[in-house]
Amino acid sequence: MINAVLVFNNNGQPRLTKFYTQLDTSVQQRLLSEIFTLVAARPSSSCNFLPLPPLLAPPQTSSTTTSPESNDAPSLVTYRHYATLYFIVISTSTESPLALLDLIQVYVEALDRLFENVCELDLIFNFETLHAVLAEMIVGGVVIETGLDKVVEGVRAQGRVAKRPINESRGGLSQGIWAGR
Amino acid sequence: MFEKDIYQLIRGLRAHKGNEREYIQGSLRECRKEIRSQDMDQKATALMKLVYLEMFGHDMSWASFNVLEVMSSPKYIQKRVGYLAAVQSFRPDTEVLMLAENLLKKDLNSPDKITIGLPLGTIPHVINASMANSLLTDLIPRLSHSLPAIRKKTIVTLYRLALVYPETLRPAWPKIKDRLLDENEDPSVTAAIVNVVCELGWRRPQDFLPLAPRLFELLTQGGNNWMAIKIIKLFSTLTPLEPRLVKKLLPPLTSIIKTTPAMSLLYECINGIIQGGIMDAAEGTMEGDEVARLCLSKLRAMLVVEGDPNLRYVALLAFTKITSSHADLVSQHQDVILECIDDADISIRTRALDLVVGMINANNLQAVVERLLKQLRNAGQASDAPAPVQDRDRHEGIVAMADEDDEDMQASIRPKEQKSTQAPPLPDDYRTSVIERILDMCSSQTYANVNDFEWYIGVLTDLVKQCPAVPSTGGFGSHQVSVAMDRPSVADAVGAELLNIAVRVKAVRPEAAMAAQNLLLYEQREEFFPSAGGGGQGVLAAAAFIAGEYASMLPDPEAVLTSLLHSSSAQLQASLLISYLQAIPKVFTALTSDQSTAWTLTRQTTATLLIARIVHFLEPLTLHPNLDVQERAVEYLDLMRLASEAASSQQTDAEGESYAEPPLLLTQAIPSLFSGMELNPVASSALRNVPQPEELDLDVPINSSLQMLLQQADSDTELDDTPTEVYKYYHEKASAATTTYQRPAADLLDAPEVNRSPSYQVAETEPLDREAKERLKLERRERYKDDPYYIDSERASGASTPMHNILRNANGEELDVDAIPVMELKLDRLDLPADRERPASQRVPPAKKAKRHFEIAGDETLGGEDLQTLSASLSRHPAGSRGGKKSLLEVDSSGLSALSLSDDAARNGQSRVDVERRQHEEEEMSKAIKEVERLRLEMQRAQERILTRDIPEEGTMVKRKKKKKIKVEAGGDAAAAELGEDGGAVGKKKKKKKGEEGDAVVTDTIPAADDGEADVPVKTKRKKKRHVAFNE
Repeated sequence: MINAVLVFNNNGQPRLTKFYTQLDTSVQQRLLSEIFTLVAARPSSSCNFLPLPPLLAPPQTSSTTTSPESNDAPSLVTYRHYATLYFIVISTSTESPLALLDLIQVYVEALDRLFENVCELDLIFNFETLHAVLAEMIVGGVVIETGLDKVVEGVRAQGRVAKRPINESRGGLSQGIWAGR
Repeated sequence: MFEKDIYQLIRGLRAHKGNEREYIQGSLRECRKEIRSQDMDQKATALMKLVYLEMFGHDMSWASFNVLEVMSSPKYIQKRVGYLAAVQSFRPDTEVLMLAENLLKKDLNSPDKITIGLPLGTIPHVINASMANSLLTDLIPRLSHSLPAIRKKTIVTLYRLALVYPETLRPAWPKIKDRLLDENEDPSVTAAIVNVVCELGWRRPQDFLPLAPRLFELLTQGGNNWMAIKIIKLFSTLTPLEPRLVKKLLPPLTSIIKTTPAMSLLYECINGIIQGGIMDAAEGTMEGDEVARLCLSKLRAMLVVEGDPNLRYVALLAFTKITSSHADLVSQHQDVILECIDDADISIRTRALDLVVGMINANNLQAVVERLLKQLRNAGQASDAPAPVQDRDRHEGIVAMADEDDEDMQASIRPKEQKSTQAPPLPDDYRTSVIERILDMCSSQTYANVNDFEWYIGVLTDLVKQCPAVPSTGGFGSHQVSVAMDRPSVADAVGAELLNIAVRVKAVRPEAAMAAQNLLLYEQREEFFPSAGGGGQGVLAAAAFIAGEYASMLPDPEAVLTSLLHSSSAQLQASLLISYLQAIPKVFTALTSDQSTAWTLTRQTTATLLIARIVHFLEPLTLHPNLDVQERAVEYLDLMRLASEAASSQQTDAEGESYAEPPLLLTQAIPSLFSGMELNPVASSALRNVPQPEELDLDVPINSSLQMLLQQADSDTELDDTPTEVYKYYHEKASAATTTYQRPAADLLDAPEVNRSPSYQVAETEPLDREAKERLKLERRERYKDDPYYIDSERASGASTPMHNILRNANGEELDVDAIPVMELKLDRLDLPADRERPASQRVPPAKKAKRHFEIAGDETLGGEDLQTLSASLSRHPAGSRGGKKSLLEVDSSGLSALSLSDDAARNGQSRVDVERRQHEEEEMSKAIKEVERLRLEMQRAQERILTRDIPEEGTMVKRKKKKKIKVEAGGDAAAAELGEDGGAVGKKKKKKKGEEGDAVVTDTIPAADDGEADVPVKTKRKKKRHVAFNE
């Protein structure tokens, strides 16, 4: 099953955190920064699978023996990097690594469909939608939908998806509001 | 009133670059205020902001009640915020969960289909066993909801319920199964069920065997690759139970492999074939061979494919799974796998490394190790590269930062992934793991694969340079660092390996000594230990030991001694320093103990000079904070002072006219301290094989009057005048003390023939005549017959003169490979002739290109057969202990394994038993409740009796009262005053009753018999106390 879905940008700023196991906020943050440290060091040519971060690493003694219990523990960290954002999925061995990559792709495509040419700003301001899309695809760590159309349809059924506030867009209008920029 | 909505918060964050912390704190304060407002809109907005800030690590558990408020809002938009907040912030210990239960029930039964989705998505995050029990009745009807979206969410939610409350499956599973078997079911619901079944499958595969036909149908129908992947995964857990499935599965799997355009499905097919044991099961048949060939050729193609590192990674994963069963098949693809060791991607390298360790043999070992070494050498140290990133870790959390570049963020994330392309430096943990793997590969099966130990020693010295800095500066929180400090560093492992070689392989001892010298020499320190973090320093302990133990083989002992005595050595870690201190006198001995040449003036001067330098080095160390260092420094300091005395007072041969004996303290006494037995490797299980002497009773005190003796000793020291003696001993000039020690040194002269003997085993400092010596030896042998640590000099043939042995071996006297001597400590052979040859070794090094043969001493052990049981118990141990430790994100599903789902009679039987048991329990419970009720009534009655009796000697009054009562009842016109009195009594009674009722409630909650009630709290209290004592 899927243990967590994380989205953060190139600076490690979280854009979405979803843990399918209840964790303390501080532990969540530690995990997030460990994964970011790992992921940020990787060049584009490398593969999309991370070694387990120290927090998730199994106790060293049992690394050789694969007991059936290990199927419960997260063993796979899959990520994809799109422009400024990293999408990370932490899962157990019952998930297929290549299929997870496709799952991330579906997620991003669904977002793109909903926001029309999605960018990080859309996600910052509409993080609720990010959650909604994810909820249509994964419930309680189990994938329930992989069809792009159905996901989009499911989110739209919950209400209109807001675009990012108009003055955040590329136009010069924003200058007055962002005094500090 | 001004308030921010979520957009304004985010904008504000972006505007307050540099002081986000303050801004966030301010916002949190506002949220705290706003969330208490009566206006639900404002509440929801504040909650939304809190959820956003929670993402950055700002705890919002304090708002859990407000979350509940917003969840119960009638407006969907607000409700959604509330539910999102619950998912993100509720923890298992959140108290309001109890209150949320009814709300969840209500929303599950909502007529609005959108609303139903909210609790369905939230329940998996907040569920606990008791809630699961009560929500179950509301969830099960949702399985037949008209909307597929709700059906599939319900199925998954039920799965999560089952994880905490396995009984869920009893009513739910038949319904879920019906859905799966229903061919008209929405395909996405079917897919969701398959996903759930796949999660459940590996826990109880036998329960899902009946589903195999339907799953097979779904697989061959095709259409949904996602589902096919999961079905194959599920089948790989089923095939071991049902061998007939293999034959059935082979054709569809083969055809998928051949035809599918989806790489993920192709890979999972291969993976399923490997994991399900299909390859083994079908071995020998034509299809089986074909499928094996097909799989491996596809995997190989994945390894060599250009531009997709992901395929390479997963292919290596698959290869790793095959190695254990089909090592031969994997080694056919050695060439491509070895390429992956040098892949630019560390994830791939790590996988390849795992794989390579499994396929190493004597022929490819050197090439692989050289390859890895080259990799380490070329990469350079990486310790400082990710520093800016790691800085963040020291904060409590991630601070929401103003973003650097908004242009960037507007870049559409749709286009194909982009990444930076700087070359990665090797991370330290990878470095460490490479070094560990090299050591593992080389040392496996007592160096079975190493042909050339000189080469290996070279590798080890090279590895020292590659050791990463010791404290992992990455530091994910301080506790990590402390853990790292406790673990032996990889440099220690390299050192241990060097030492192991030096001890086991006598032929390369000179090379090992040379390597140790190189490591120790001060002039070369910069070369070997370049990193400021002290990367490879751990190896110095072993190097110092080798230099000391085999000092006679050092090419340049004087230089080594100089380096050991260098002022920088005193700054080393205590653990290294200890080893240094031990090595110093040994090397010193090697330099000065020569007794064949005359005691000339130059020799005397060198000796005194050396001693002076050692004394100079040791003196400050007598005050070292580490007690071990201090003790050794003090010991050797005094020894050196004695030696200094001896050296300066010994007569030198004036003008070379006569042969002057060198001082015996230098040539005999001090060397004898160090040249006892030769060291031999001892098997870790040897100690367990030592039989316990029958007369040994460990429970009997060795000295029954120990307590008294200790007390006596205490009082003795108070009266004694030893303090002054001690003071004198340490603080007066050394010359005063030497006179007492001169005598034994001189006495040694009386027995020169003893000293000339090649054996330093029996470290006599006193002369003994032969007979007495022999007798002593016999006595000692008798005494130590059962002592495993005592290695008899007679028995250990040739061990006495390592030098001689080495020379003999090196000269090729014993080149018979098959007769490699190995030390074997057999108790029953103790009385065999002394110079018996040891039994031949069991190990024969592969003699293909043997230009030089190496003897590898095996572990010494007793009996020997126990070794396996020990290793078995060792390997069993971690597996057992693992159960206790749970991984961080792990969802425990072990509860499921106890629950059977199959349709057969066993299940019915079990459930019937279960039902019976529950009925029984309920009956008992009601009985207990009745009993409690009865007791309560009895007590109440008794209380009433007491009340009536309680009123003292005014019996008449009571009577009167009674009469009056009767009167009241009869007449109904009682006086107000009397009524008051009566009412007071009644009130009192009522109060008492209440108290009783309270008691009764208490007994109700404790289902045990009522006499247990009093015991329970006492017991827990006691337990707590005991616990505290334990901690102390």
